[in-house]
Amino acid sequence: MVTLTERRTAPAVVATDLTKVYGQGDARVHALRAVNVAFATGAFTAIMGPSGSGKSTLMHCLAGLDTATSGTVHLGDVELTGLSDRQLTLLRRERIGFVFQAFNLLPTLTAEQNIRLPLEIAARQADQALFDRVISTVGLTDRLSHRPTELSGGQQQRVAVARALISKPQVIFADEPTGNLDSRSGAEVLSFLRVSVRELGQTIVMVTHDPVAASYADRVVFLRDGELVTELATPTPQSVLDTLVKLEA
Amino acid sequence: MLKTALAGLRAHMFRLLLTSLAIMLGVGFIAGTFVLNDTVQAGFDQRVSADAGKVDVAVLPKGSGAVLSERVLERIRGLDGVTEAQGLVRGAAPLIGKDGKTVGNLPTTAVSIVTGPLDRADIVAGTGPGTDDRAAVLDDNTAKAQGMRLGDTITVLDAGKAEHRFKLVGLLDTGVDQELSFTGAVGFTTATAKRMTDFKGYREIDVAGTAPGLKQAVAAAVGDAYTVKTGHELASDLARAAGVETQMFTLGLLLFGVVAMMVAALVIYNTFNILVAQRTREMALLRCIGATRGQVFGSILLESAVVGVLASALGLLLGYGLATLTLTVLGAVDAPLPTDAGAALSPVTIATGMAVGLVVTVCAALLPARSATRVLPVAALRTHAEEQTFRAGLLRGLFAALFLVAGSGVTAVGVFVLEPGRNESLLAVMAGGSLTFLAVLILGPVLVRPLSVLVGWIPGRVFGVPGRLAVGNSGRNPKRAATTTVALTIGVTLMTLISVVTASTRLTMTAKLDEQFPVDYAVMDQERDSVVPRSVAERLRRAPELASVVQIRQADATIDGRHVSAGTFRGPVEPYVTAGSMAGFGPGQVALRDSDAERLGVQVGDSVRLRTERAGTVPLKVVALVDGNQGTLPSVTVAEAAFETYFGAVPDARLMIRIADGVPRERAREVVDAAAAPYPNVKVSSAAETRGQFDETLDMLLMIITGLLGLAILISLLGIANTLSLSVHERTRESALLRALGLTRRQLRAMLSVEALVLGLIGALVGAVLGGVFGWAAIMAMLDGALLSLPVGQIALFVALSGVAGVLAAVLPARRAARASITGALAAG
Repeated sequence: MVTLTERRTAPAVVATDLTKVYGQGDARVHALRAVNVAFATGAFTAIMGPSGSGKSTLMHCLAGLDTATSGTVHLGDVELTGLSDRQLTLLRRERIGFVFQAFNLLPTLTAEQNIRLPLEIAARQADQALFDRVISTVGLTDRLSHRPTELSGGQQQRVAVARALISKPQVIFADEPTGNLDSRSGAEVLSFLRVSVRELGQTIVMVTHDPVAASYADRVVFLRDGELVTELATPTPQSVLDTLVKLEA
Repeated sequence: MLKTALAGLRAHMFRLLLTSLAIMLGVGFIAGTFVLNDTVQAGFDQRVSADAGKVDVAVLPKGSGAVLSERVLERIRGLDGVTEAQGLVRGAAPLIGKDGKTVGNLPTTAVSIVTGPLDRADIVAGTGPGTDDRAAVLDDNTAKAQGMRLGDTITVLDAGKAEHRFKLVGLLDTGVDQELSFTGAVGFTTATAKRMTDFKGYREIDVAGTAPGLKQAVAAAVGDAYTVKTGHELASDLARAAGVETQMFTLGLLLFGVVAMMVAALVIYNTFNILVAQRTREMALLRCIGATRGQVFGSILLESAVVGVLASALGLLLGYGLATLTLTVLGAVDAPLPTDAGAALSPVTIATGMAVGLVVTVCAALLPARSATRVLPVAALRTHAEEQTFRAGLLRGLFAALFLVAGSGVTAVGVFVLEPGRNESLLAVMAGGSLTFLAVLILGPVLVRPLSVLVGWIPGRVFGVPGRLAVGNSGRNPKRAATTTVALTIGVTLMTLISVVTASTRLTMTAKLDEQFPVDYAVMDQERDSVVPRSVAERLRRAPELASVVQIRQADATIDGRHVSAGTFRGPVEPYVTAGSMAGFGPGQVALRDSDAERLGVQVGDSVRLRTERAGTVPLKVVALVDGNQGTLPSVTVAEAAFETYFGAVPDARLMIRIADGVPRERAREVVDAAAAPYPNVKVSSAAETRGQFDETLDMLLMIITGLLGLAILISLLGIANTLSLSVHERTRESALLRALGLTRRQLRAMLSVEALVLGLIGALVGAVLGGVFGWAAIMAMLDGALLSLPVGQIALFVALSGVAGVLAAVLPARRAARASITGALAAG
C-alpha cells in the first residue's frame, strides 16, 4: 500500500505544542501534554491509545469543538486558537465534517434531510453529482426517505458518513464511528471511509481503540497519557495490536 | 420508598418548582378570594354592629314600597318602657350639581338624620343637621365628586321640583347601604326630610327602651302588618343583605379560580408524565432491585403530595398577600366596600386552599404514576430512552367523535331549539362547550402534528434550518405537546369567548338602541315624571337647527283596576303598529302596547274602560297594537285632545329631538341645552352619550375578565416553559450534534424559541376557534335577535400575544441549551 502523504506538501491539520488541562490545583488533569502532530491532506489517519489517553480530547481540540489551554491548531491556513465561539461554529460549518459513535442523526429528519443538513445550515447548494455519487457509493439510494429509527445501525453510520462528505469539508473527524456496530457493518463503514479518501481525495482523522478499524487507515498515531508516543505507517491489525501491547506494558 | 421519593423531589427541584408555581398561583387566587370575601363581610358586620347597640327594636313595613304611618309611630311612642322612637324618612330629593343640573342619572336620596340616642348616621366630617332645618349633610362621595365643601350652600329640589337652599354642615358615610351609595344621599332633619320628599310614611321606626320583652310589646302594638326586629337581628340582616353582592362577586371570582386550577392540573399532569418518562431507568432499577409496582406508584404519589402541600401552603400566603393588596387598592379608589377590617386567613380558607391544592395535585399525578408502574425492570438495561411514538388509535377517534357529536348536538339545542335569554339555553351551550372541549382534549395529540405544520409554515421559512427543525420538534411528542398547548387553549378560548360575547352584545345593543332611541337627543327628568314644561318643546320646535321634536306626556290611570301609564304624543312618531291601524287616530280611540293588550286580554276592535281622576271612566275602542320592544309610545296611547280632557294640562314627560340635516352636533346641542337650562331637573341626554356609557361599562367588564383570565394564561405558560426545559434536557445530545455541524448558539436559541412559538400559536389558534364558535353560541343563547360580531383584531391580538408569551417562556430553557458545552454533551451517556 502506497501512502499518499509524501506527495502532498501542505498538511490539512497541524497541532503545535497542544496542551489541554482540566480542573484546578490538586485536581488538575493534563489531558494533552504539548502534542505536536500533523495530518496530511487526502490521507486517512487513525488516532489510537488506551482509555484516558486523550484521543477524544485531541480530536475535539483539532475540530474546534473544545479550546486548548495552550498551543495552536491550524486548519489549513486558519489558526483555530483564539477564534470566538461564533467563528469556530462558522468554521465547523464550512470546513469540517463529523461522524460520531452514536446520536449522529436527528430523529425528526429523513436520511436525505440529515445528509443535506450541514449544507442547509450553511445555506449552500448541494453538488447534485457529488450527492448522487456519495449516495450510490454508500448504498443508500432506496433508503433516503427513511427516518433514523427505520434504519439499521450500519445504515445510520453510513448516512452520517454521507452527511460528512456532502459538504466537501477540508477534513472529516470520525469519533469511534464503528464503536456501536457489529463487525460486518463496521467493515462496511470503514471500507467506505477508505474509498472516500482514495476516490474523492477526502482527508479523514479517525479516533478509535479498535486495531482492526485502525488498520483501514494510511497511518496510525498513538497517544498515551496525553502524549504522542509513536506512529505507524501502513498498519495491519497485528502491527497495531503489537504497538498497543507495547504501550500498555 | 419514602427516602427514594424525597430524593426524587430534591433531584428534580427546578422542575417541581415550576409545577409548584402553577399550584401556588391557583390556590393563591382561590384563597385570596376567600380572604377578600371574609374581610369585606367582617367590615359589614363591624359597621352594623355599632348600630345594633343603639337600636333596641326596629319596626319595618312588609313588602316593598310599603311605609309606616305617623299613627304607628305615635302608638309605639305611647308604649310603656319605650324611651324613644324615631321614624326614618327616605325619598327622592335631587341635588343640583355645579353645572346647574341634577346630579347623576338617579335623584339623590333624602334621608332624615335624627338626634339623640337613636342617631345612627355616620358623620365623618362636620356635624349632623341637628335641629337646624336649613342645614344639610351630603354623603362624602357625592360631595367629593361635586367639589362641595363644608360651609357651602347646596341646592336641592323638592318633590315639586322647587329649589331649596341649605348650608352644608357635615359629610355622611353611607356605610353598608347599597341604595344610598348608588344614588348618593342628602341628610336633613326629620321635618325637612318630610317637606322635601313626597312624604307618605316612614321607611323604618327605630325604638330605644329598656323594658324586658320590648320586642313583643312593640310587635303586639303594631300588629301583623309590620316586621319587628331586635337591634341585633336588624344588624345581622343588614350585614347579610350588604354581603349578598359580595358573595355573588366572590362566586364569580371563584369561577376564575376553578379555571386556573384546571389549567394547573394539566400542567402538573404533564410535568409528572415527563418526570416519569425521564426516570424510566430509575424506575426500572427500583423494580430490578425488588420494588413492587405498588411501591413505585406510591413513591410518585407521595412526591406529588409533598409538592401539593408545600405549594398550597405557599399559595395561601400568596392569597393573603393578593387579598391585602386588592383591599388596599379598593380602599384607595374609594370602592363602596368596607376595606378597613383586618384581612385574615380563616381556618375554612386554610382548609379549602390546602384541600384543593393537594387533591388537584395528587389527582393530576395519578395517571403518570400508573404509567410508572408499567415500566419493565429490563428497561434499566437499555442505553437510552426510546423516542415516544404515538399512533391515533381507533378508540381515541371513536371517543372524540362521540364527544364532538354530543357537544355540537347539545350546543345546537341551546342555540336553535331553546328560547334565547333563558338560563337553560345558556346552560345547554355551556354543556355543549365542555363536551366539545373534551373532544378537543382527546383529539389533541392527533391535531398537534398537522397544526404544527400549518402554524409553522411561516416560521419554517423565515427562520431557515432552525425554524424547520423547530417545527419538526414541536410535533415530536404529540401527547406532551397537546397537553402543554391545551392548558393555553383553555385561557385563550375563554378570552376569545368573552370578547366575542361583548362585541356581539355591543353590536346588538347598539342596533337596539338605534331602534328604540331613533333620536339624537332626549330631554327628560331624572325620574321620567311628566314635569318638563311645555314651553321647552315649543321653543325647540321653532329652532331651525332641529328637524323634529316629539313630545310624550304620561299620566297614571287604571283599566279594570290595573294601574297603567296613559299617555299621548305630539310630533312625528314611528308607532311600530303590529295590529290594526293608527290612521285617523282620534278621540274615543286607544292604541295599546302588545304586551299590555295581552295582559288585559283585549284585541283590536275590543273596548277598554279607562278610569281617570278628572274625567271618570271613559270607554275607548282599541284601534291598534304597537310593539312594546320598539318605539317610544306609552303603554296606553290616546289622542292628544282626548288626553287633555282626561288629565288636564300635564307637562311633557320627555322630548325626543332630531337634528336637521347639515347642522353640526355641537351647534344643535347648544340650542337644546339653552332651552333646558332654566330647569335644573330637565336633563338633556344624547344617543351618543348613552352608547358611550354602555360601551364604557362593556369595556370595563371585558378588561376585568380578561385580566382575571390572564392568571390561567400565566399558569399555562409555566407549562410551556416546563415542557421546553424538559425537551432541552432530553435533546442534549442532539443539540450538541447540531452545534458540531455548525449551528450557532443564536440559531439554537432561535430553534427553541420557534418551537415555543409554534406551541403557543397552536394552543391559541385552537382556543380562538373554540372561543369564536362558542362565543357565537353563547350570544345566540343569551340574546334574542343577537347580531354576531367577531372582534378579529382582538382575537388576532390574543393569538399573537400567546405566541410571544410562548417565546418568553422559552427564554430560560433556550439559554441553558445554548450554553451547554458541546464536548460535555457528546461525552455524556
